[in-house]
Amino acid sequence: MTRGIGLYVHIPFCASRCPYCDFATAPARTTLRVAYLEALREEIAREGRALGRPRIRTLYVGGGTPSLLDPSEIELLAGALREAFDVRPREATIEVNPATLDRVRLDAWLALGITRMSLGAQSFDARGLRALGRTHQPQDSTAALVAARDAGLDTNLDLIFGWPGQTVADWQRDLEMAVALAPDHVSCYPLELRLDPEASVANWPGGGWPVLERWRQRTAAAQPDDAGVARLYRLAEGVLARSGYRHYEIANWARPRKRSLHNLGYWRDRDWLGVGAGAHTHLGGVRSANPVELRTYIAHARSGSARSADLESDPRAEAAMLALRLDTGLDLRRYRIRFGDEAVTRVRFALAEVSRARLVRWSGDRASLTARGRLLASEVFVRLLP
Amino acid sequence: MADLVRIRNFCVIAHVDHGKTTLSDRLLETTGTVPLREMREQLLDSMELEREHGITIKARAVRMAWRDHELNLIDTPGHVDFTYEVSRSLAACEGAVLLVDASQGIEAQTLANAYLAVEQGLEVIPVINKIDLPNIDLDVVREELRTTLGFREDEILLASGKTGAGVEELLDAIVERVPAPTGDPDAPLRALIFDSHYDAYKGVVAHIRVVDGALAAGDRIRLMATERESDLLELGVFVPDARPIERLVTGEVGYVATGLKAVADCRVGDTLTLASRPAAEPLPGYRPAKPMVFAGFYPSNAEDYPELKDALEKLRLNDASLLYEPETSQALGFGFRAGFLGLLHLEIVQERLEREYDVGLIATSPSVEYRVITQKGAEVAIDNPALLPDPGTIVEIREPWMKVTIIVPTTHVGPVMEVAQNKRASLLDMSYVDPTRAMLKYEMPLSELIVDFYDQLKSRSQGYASLDYEFAEYRAADLVRLDILVSGSLVDALSIITHRDRAQLSGRVLVSKLRGLIPKQMFDVRIQAAIGGKVIASETVKAKRKDVLAKCYGGDITRKRKLLEKQKEGKKRMKMVGSVEIPQEAFLAVLRIGDET
Repeated sequence: MTRGIGLYVHIPFCASRCPYCDFATAPARTTLRVAYLEALREEIAREGRALGRPRIRTLYVGGGTPSLLDPSEIELLAGALREAFDVRPREATIEVNPATLDRVRLDAWLALGITRMSLGAQSFDARGLRALGRTHQPQDSTAALVAARDAGLDTNLDLIFGWPGQTVADWQRDLEMAVALAPDHVSCYPLELRLDPEASVANWPGGGWPVLERWRQRTAAAQPDDAGVARLYRLAEGVLARSGYRHYEIANWARPRKRSLHNLGYWRDRDWLGVGAGAHTHLGGVRSANPVELRTYIAHARSGSARSADLESDPRAEAAMLALRLDTGLDLRRYRIRFGDEAVTRVRFALAEVSRARLVRWSGDRASLTARGRLLASEVFVRLLP
Repeated sequence: MADLVRIRNFCVIAHVDHGKTTLSDRLLETTGTVPLREMREQLLDSMELEREHGITIKARAVRMAWRDHELNLIDTPGHVDFTYEVSRSLAACEGAVLLVDASQGIEAQTLANAYLAVEQGLEVIPVINKIDLPNIDLDVVREELRTTLGFREDEILLASGKTGAGVEELLDAIVERVPAPTGDPDAPLRALIFDSHYDAYKGVVAHIRVVDGALAAGDRIRLMATERESDLLELGVFVPDARPIERLVTGEVGYVATGLKAVADCRVGDTLTLASRPAAEPLPGYRPAKPMVFAGFYPSNAEDYPELKDALEKLRLNDASLLYEPETSQALGFGFRAGFLGLLHLEIVQERLEREYDVGLIATSPSVEYRVITQKGAEVAIDNPALLPDPGTIVEIREPWMKVTIIVPTTHVGPVMEVAQNKRASLLDMSYVDPTRAMLKYEMPLSELIVDFYDQLKSRSQGYASLDYEFAEYRAADLVRLDILVSGSLVDALSIITHRDRAQLSGRVLVSKLRGLIPKQMFDVRIQAAIGGKVIASETVKAKRKDVLAKCYGGDITRKRKLLEKQKEGKKRMKMVGSVEIPQEAFLAVLRIGDET
């Protein structure tokens, strides 16, 4: 643990719920807000002690909408973090919702030592924002990005494509707008709507949100088909490559030396701690997660009960899948050192068919996804499962 | 033990949903066999599947007492696939209650079974049931009973299983009209097995009607057709729960725990006698199970073959009509060819394998047994299209034809005739069972009957048509094998035998159905239909364009893995044929050809 760990902090509060979102979220004015932040600080303190006050190599404050926190709340959180950990991050990101970040809040975050801002722009098209159920305006994103850069922060733009009614030309404009703002990093996600209940998703359809369920059904029915979404993805690859962004992960592009170090930690299967509702942790080869539901999380955090471990986790399969998400791919020499010959044989066997179908290409002992492979990654990954 | 003259053995003939079970329950209740408070809903149906299909597969006999008589109610299977079993149940009776729903009228299969009862010399008591229903016209049903079976007005009883009206009158009529059994109490034992089932504790339990002689606990028994001998473990009657007794005598009905291990050793229709004093001649009418419909059963996962084998063996313990033998398919690997009494029997077995034994199953399209005359003069039975010999060596192919009876409201005769015509049926006769309903008699190939005929009949008659069929004969036909190629390789399990005139159309429809059923893969998949190597239809399943979980949920790998696991489960239900994943439904696509022809 000398090199330090990643730390993810989850702030679930949102001014309004985005109907496609599967994260643990809660209304900004929830009566649980104070209790939640207290519980979060308790968890931070306890974990810091348990891990022997490790160095935080990367910090990521996600949500929810962390940018909604008041300056006093940010200071308390910052204090708790410094108390529990050696906070000297090479990268510290906060997720920001356009139109929520004012100067006072930004200063409070800067005081905590953030270096990077990830902006949930999603689209610069008013129709797109409406189709996604977003409440901000296109110009809010522009203003927030400029403010972040003026404050000396690295920037990321999140974009979503494949919303109902989106044409190739619409998406082209969004991409050109994004490039014109010259962020350091761009994430492009196809709109993925889960329709079936899942225990790990707090607000899945059927979980007491009929309005949400209807929205998802309706939106999913009106989305472009897979071929259409594939075309949009290819377009993003073209536009961003020409603008000097490296496509380093399935949904992520970055300027040189601007890849997200924190997220690279996930894909490289490094150690990280997640605190807050629904946060995931990977420490010492064990995956675990906090309860998604706010009250349950608070009760757990207060009583000091452990995160629940993912007993079905299969480190060999997961490490291979995560590595393949990156353009650097899966290096079987390193993989052999970690998991042994038999695991390597298994991976080679699992990838044989998708290699023939040209979803995976080989360069020596290194396997990586082809352009088609990135679009059909699930076909590749499903074969890596035990 | 009752005096012979005080015994009445009878069964109830009725169509599904005409209230047989409710009325039977009412008989048990009225005779005090089961006190009211112990009545369970629909006492005689026991298996979950039977309830879902609305039929009773396993017959049972229940003993009741009424006005100093011993009444044995023998249950009969209620589906067309089980005609032979019905005939054996009837053979165990002297009388039959013909139950007709007041609002529905008589149905084709009921009529067929009623004729069977009359032919076997049973006293038939017609009962119009559900008279408590509003808006019924009893005169129409009375007329049906007069025209079709020649009943007199004063023979027809009215009853309601629901309210209990007419039940006592029915019991009295059974005592008065049904003859007492005849038989020789001093002759060597001859008992008719009219049903058998496997019990985990008692082995094979045979339900018997003692025709001559008597049987006592501890006797050593012999089965005359299968030539098996065994010491009987238990003798008893159902009242309605099993109650052991010491003796069963001439005319009585009861059960025998035979000590045998498989129902195949103790077949319906066989004669049970004593090893110490065997009868000279068995009772007439025994017939070994004769499968009419065949299908390949393969495990979805090759490694599950032993489980499938085990499950089939267990099912066979309880189902003597289920026949199977190992079979190998190039496309599907190791599996079994199984023979069934009919399509419903097939469906029941398939569901039980999947539901009770949890075996992931690929079933191929059902086939009939063809008789192929080769140039060498041999006659070869073919129940798997893939095994049809080289057309050059074939002189003639014969296929089984059935006699089919359909009863349908006159308003729907047109559409029903159209369905029949599309199935190569030829009309033999049309008559009226009453002014509103016609009876159509056809002959048609069994191969057409098993492919979606019943469903079409139901949908084109708004559910009113009823159907009965029996084997007629083998006839020569101009048949060819239609092969399906997936990505250029022949998938033997998808081959069908079809009439030459219809092969082109069937090929096109089948290929189009398969295109809809085979999911998109990593590459384009070409599906072709061919006859004798000549491609007659072709379609392509375009390659999958996008299948990726892009979003990074704060390092939530667990969720991604779970979604992938779900996807993997879906793949498991498919069969890898070459490099193409083919779902189970595709192998039954041929059943859906009719939707478009």
